[in-house]
Amino acid sequence: MATAIKLDSKVPSGPLESRWTRHKDQLKLVSPTNKRKYTILVVGTGLAGASAAASLAELGYNVKAFCIQDSPRRAHSIAAQGGINAAKNYRNDGDSIWRLFYDTIKGGDFRAREANVYRLAELSVNIIDQCVAQGVPFAREYGGLLDTRSFGGALVERTFYARGQTGQQLLLGAYSAMMRQVDAGRVTLYPRREMLDLVVINGQARGIVCRNLITGELESYVGDAVVLCTGGYGNAYFLATYAKNSNATAIWRCHKRGALFANPCFTQIHPTCIPVTGDYQSKLTLMSESLRNDGRVWVPKKKGDTRPPNEIPEDERDYFLERKYPTYGNLAPRDIASRAVKAVCDEGRGVGATGRAVYLDFSDTIREKGIEYIKEKYGNLFEMYQHITGEDPYKVPMRIYPAVHYTMGGLWVDYNLMSTIPGLFVLGEANFSDHGANRLGASALMQGLADGYFIIPYTIGDYFANTTLPKVSPEHSAFKESLADVHRFLTKLLSIKGNKTVLEFHRELGMILWDYVGMARNAQGLQIAIEKIRKLREEFWNNLKVPGDNNMLNKNLEMAGRVADFLELAELMAIDALHREESCGAHFREEYQTPDGEALRNDEQFCYVAAWEYTGDLGKPELHKEPLVFEFVTPTVRSYK
Amino acid sequence: MTKKMTLHLRIWRQPNPHTPGRFVTYTIRDVSSDMSLLELLDVLNEELIKKGEPPVEFDSDCREGICGTCGFLVNGVAHGPKRGRTACQQYLRDFKDGETITLEPFRAKAFPVIKDLVVDRSALDRIMAAGGYISVNTGSAPDANSIPIPKEIAEQAFDAAACIGCGACVAACPNASASLFVSAKIAHLALLPQGQPERIRRVLRMVEQMDKEGFGDCSNHGECEAVCPKNISIKHIAIMRREYLRALWSL
Amino acid sequence: MALWPQSSVAKKFLNAITGIGLFIFVVVHLFENLLLLTGNPDDFNRWAHFLESFGVVLRIIEIGLAAFFIAHIWSALLVYWDKWKARPHGYRVYRTAGWTSRQTLSSQTMIYTGIVLLAFVIWHVITFRFGPYYPIMVDGVEMRDLHRLVVEVFNEPINVVLYVAVMVFLGFHLRHGFWSALQSLGAYHPRWTPVWYSGGVLVAAALAAGFIVIPIWVYLYL
Ligand SMILES: Cc1cc2nc3c(=O)[nH]c(=O)nc-3n(C[C@H](O)[C@H](O)[C@H](O)COP(=O)(O)OP(=O)(O)OC[C@H]3O[C@@H](n4cnc5c(N)ncnc54)[C@H](O)[C@@H]3O)c2cc1C
Ligand code: HEM
Ligand code: HEM
Ligand code: SF4
Ligand code: F3S
Ligand code: FES
Repeated sequence: MATAIKLDSKVPSGPLESRWTRHKDQLKLVSPTNKRKYTILVVGTGLAGASAAASLAELGYNVKAFCIQDSPRRAHSIAAQGGINAAKNYRNDGDSIWRLFYDTIKGGDFRAREANVYRLAELSVNIIDQCVAQGVPFAREYGGLLDTRSFGGALVERTFYARGQTGQQLLLGAYSAMMRQVDAGRVTLYPRREMLDLVVINGQARGIVCRNLITGELESYVGDAVVLCTGGYGNAYFLATYAKNSNATAIWRCHKRGALFANPCFTQIHPTCIPVTGDYQSKLTLMSESLRNDGRVWVPKKKGDTRPPNEIPEDERDYFLERKYPTYGNLAPRDIASRAVKAVCDEGRGVGATGRAVYLDFSDTIREKGIEYIKEKYGNLFEMYQHITGEDPYKVPMRIYPAVHYTMGGLWVDYNLMSTIPGLFVLGEANFSDHGANRLGASALMQGLADGYFIIPYTIGDYFANTTLPKVSPEHSAFKESLADVHRFLTKLLSIKGNKTVLEFHRELGMILWDYVGMARNAQGLQIAIEKIRKLREEFWNNLKVPGDNNMLNKNLEMAGRVADFLELAELMAIDALHREESCGAHFREEYQTPDGEALRNDEQFCYVAAWEYTGDLGKPELHKEPLVFEFVTPTVRSYK
Repeated sequence: MTKKMTLHLRIWRQPNPHTPGRFVTYTIRDVSSDMSLLELLDVLNEELIKKGEPPVEFDSDCREGICGTCGFLVNGVAHGPKRGRTACQQYLRDFKDGETITLEPFRAKAFPVIKDLVVDRSALDRIMAAGGYISVNTGSAPDANSIPIPKEIAEQAFDAAACIGCGACVAACPNASASLFVSAKIAHLALLPQGQPERIRRVLRMVEQMDKEGFGDCSNHGECEAVCPKNISIKHIAIMRREYLRALWSL
Repeated sequence: MALWPQSSVAKKFLNAITGIGLFIFVVVHLFENLLLLTGNPDDFNRWAHFLESFGVVLRIIEIGLAAFFIAHIWSALLVYWDKWKARPHGYRVYRTAGWTSRQTLSSQTMIYTGIVLLAFVIWHVITFRFGPYYPIMVDGVEMRDLHRLVVEVFNEPINVVLYVAVMVFLGFHLRHGFWSALQSLGAYHPRWTPVWYSGGVLVAAALAAGFIVIPIWVYLYL
């Protein structure tokens, strides 16, 4: 199957500042009357999907929007807390598009395309305008103007926020814009649908096969283009900050239909999450990074010290971040802090029932600045912590542990956001585009909305204008085959009738990934992981037990399909991690570090996007490299000292 | 303090919309009090699957109280005993050891039961489509700071906009009215300068759609506010009525 | 566009406006009736006669009052009709979450207390408005001796008991109705609404108590 795919990033040339503008000017247009003749299938209704569906419908296209949840408003984007970056420079603190661009590309450890990242920074400005016009209630100052705050990795205050619910408010804005188009008859909603296959006809993406999650019926939808906005795949790790329904199925099945998967091993792990309390744990909850401004991280010096924290005297505590990183201390960057926490827990000095947590202690700040200070700054976070753990963080130190939070990898797309399958566009977290090897806080929301509001409306028109799309009907043999494939797949899952549940398999897979393809990886571990994943996959297909039937609401069957895909994707993640013999961003290979434990990037050999092609053999994907050329910035060492 | 508990779950089981449902009681032993209620259901489902019985279907997604996917009645109260929280944020430590917990789906004509604890709330989306938006095409927005909005107004708008669309207000309302949900959106947009041009149309159309969907009328029981996980105040219902009066006036 | 009276919001406007109208009538009516207790039977009769002297105007007011009753009942029935349709399958276990909930026995029984009031008003109007005409001369003018009629009626213990019972229902109706009407008209104030809400208890209790005193007093002392 392996063909000579040539990765053409379609990145325009010329001065960085004018690339997008010039590119737009050169894109072909579809006339307003003709737009009505095109049907676009938008899969996913998070920030990327809802904004795309709304914008495309406004232009006059027919849009069909699909999502798993019972309402498009519930997409995972709803959970984003912190904020969204934009280079508005309302503060006059020296921010600019260039600076946002530079911070983002540096934050990504120089593993993203310059032109993409610059465009993202450029569009960030319009996003805020658009959202405010939709009625998004961003935080404001007394003068009535928009408030901003600073976020990790930046020296300027460019993060716009809506209390701790920025993602919710932005998504509701995009959702309402989309609902307006539903009312206008331009968008048709298909909630409680799961896309299970992509239909490719004559090499073009022409439709999808979905399962109606209520009736179990398989449905075919024909379109002139498919826009995937199905989010990240971090749930491969089972325990993650993702919503339970986040999955890799849509992108994985497109991958198997020919779309290349880029940088699958780039996974971001967030240091401050509420730790696991027992094996029943179903997900992890993020606690804002800002807590590290006032909390001190420590563990007991002694192994297996089970005394309550308040009884451990000062000189028996190890403030390991402060010890290891005297300059940054508790504010060491996400990946570094996460790794340090894992290390002390691996030594057996972790705290809490499971030993997989460290203390985040506010008692010094409470003593110095008073409880009111803490209440005002972190009141709602403390409350949330108390809800979940039943412990009062004003009295006992919080317990925190890192958790999987974001996937920088995803389907490979060119500058137009089109994958290697013509007509298949990929937006938001589902693509690999703008964050390189590590994403900066508050830039995922920015990317999802830039893709949906401001990029796809231009680039999809160019595709239509340049492409002949023969009429196809759901009766086409490709649809029939696809339906049969999906049906076979589902029937197989149901017919194994083994002894282990989907949840058990998912947990096991999660443990493997967490242990070997987590915060710190090494060649040996990755080999082990690949072995284990293969074994587990084999067991899955022989010993899975899925209750119920296909012709009804059956969440276990849904999960089974998703876990089946995670089991395949997991191997690719390990393979990618193994092949990338350098440390960059969130990808830390223990073999490649400086003597003092810093990530050691290898620009000579690995300054490229690793795009993997499915060959029919999961163990032998074919690697395609898209070299990354830096014309405007010079890759430097990301130093935190 | 973590402790082990035994709990009895009395759950509404209904295989599909057409077959009548009934309560079935299950006992789960030795579970940790740190577990969430939904995790307890996960544990129960694992046991049921192993025994070859159909697991209990329920909706959930974010499991941190923001997406609005989860929700059912816990001992007669929508979302459960702890106020200001969704079902996914209820923890076993807030129940008594040995207690029987009754779980029943949200009930309203506009929320038909799909299976077990899963109901269809798409009526709320249709109400949103009828006017829960500001008409502004992508790309046509003026600079975000061109219209200052007093902080207080922005905060009030936020209080209304915080609604997660869970439908607990409908479920708890003795009249099965969607007034709190609908009014929260109307109030959010009516408070902002951007929402002014469509004020009249919005309230008339959203209320009309709400009625069409078969929700009840509001008798001011205020139960909705008490169960709302986002503490949306019935003040917004009053605002919706003022908006409606304004609209009638100007017709 | 479906407007009043089909819309749920408009229905409540009508219900609230008529409810407030009826409330005002009842308050005025209470003060009228308190004239029974002045010790001088003529006071009451004189007032009734004074009202009668408005002739056509009074008829119009009476028709208006009847219209208010009908509109109030009609809108209330519509609300309840919708309520019953909106949840065909009730809960097996349901309880109020407490806290800020305004659900009370009185809010839950508006339709029943209302129906009792309706039955009462019919009976009451037949008894008094269309009851026996006893002539009496006051200040040289012939009037209807309503005082005597009232005394007659309230000397029957059964009537006193029924009246007292109905007044309790009236109190319950207004305990929720008082603040509810304001809320239905969109009057909400973060500070005053709680006052109206709690004040509703006092208003309702005072009104019921006022009306309860009359038959008992008449029975005991007149
Ligand atoms: C706790 C948390 C906090 C965060 N905070 C921030 C923050 O402060 N700032 C920031 O910038 N970023 C933040 N992020 C990251 C950010 O929220 C996400 O990256 C972003 O929202 C992803 O948006 P999306 O539109 O790409 O996908 P999603 O919002 O994940 O949407 C996916 C959509 O696809 C649908 N879907 C998936 N698979 C299928 C299928 N097979 N068939 C049909 N539909 C399907 C789903 O139903 C859903 O509608 C946070 C993430 C988490 C987990
Ligand atoms: C003296 C007579 C009456 C007075 C003073 C009165 C007063 C009120 C008031 C102030 C309200 C609140 C309005 C609102 O919620 O907006 C109300 C509601 C109501 N009234 Fe009456 N009322 C009277 C008679 C009746 C009668 C005869 C009925 C007969 C059915 C009735 C049935 C109702 C009902 C059902 C409601 C509640 C409506 C709802 O739940 O939305 N009332 N009344
Ligand atoms: C103890 C208490 C009451 C007494 C003594 C009393 C007495 C009377 C009398 C004497 C009349 C006849 C007036 C006339 O024909 O001019 C009357 C009329 C009326 N009463 Fe009462 N009343 C009492 C309570 C109530 C209550 C609680 C209500 C309402 C809920 C009510 C409603 C009416 C109405 C609607 C009329 C007819 C008014 C009209 O036709 O003008 N009364 N009452
Ligand atoms: S108003 Fe409250 S209870 Fe109702 S849908 Fe919104 S969040 Fe849920
Ligand atoms: S509980 Fe129902 S009656 Fe009104 S105030 Fe809330 S919608
Ligand atoms: S699962 Fe999202 S609110 Fe409960």
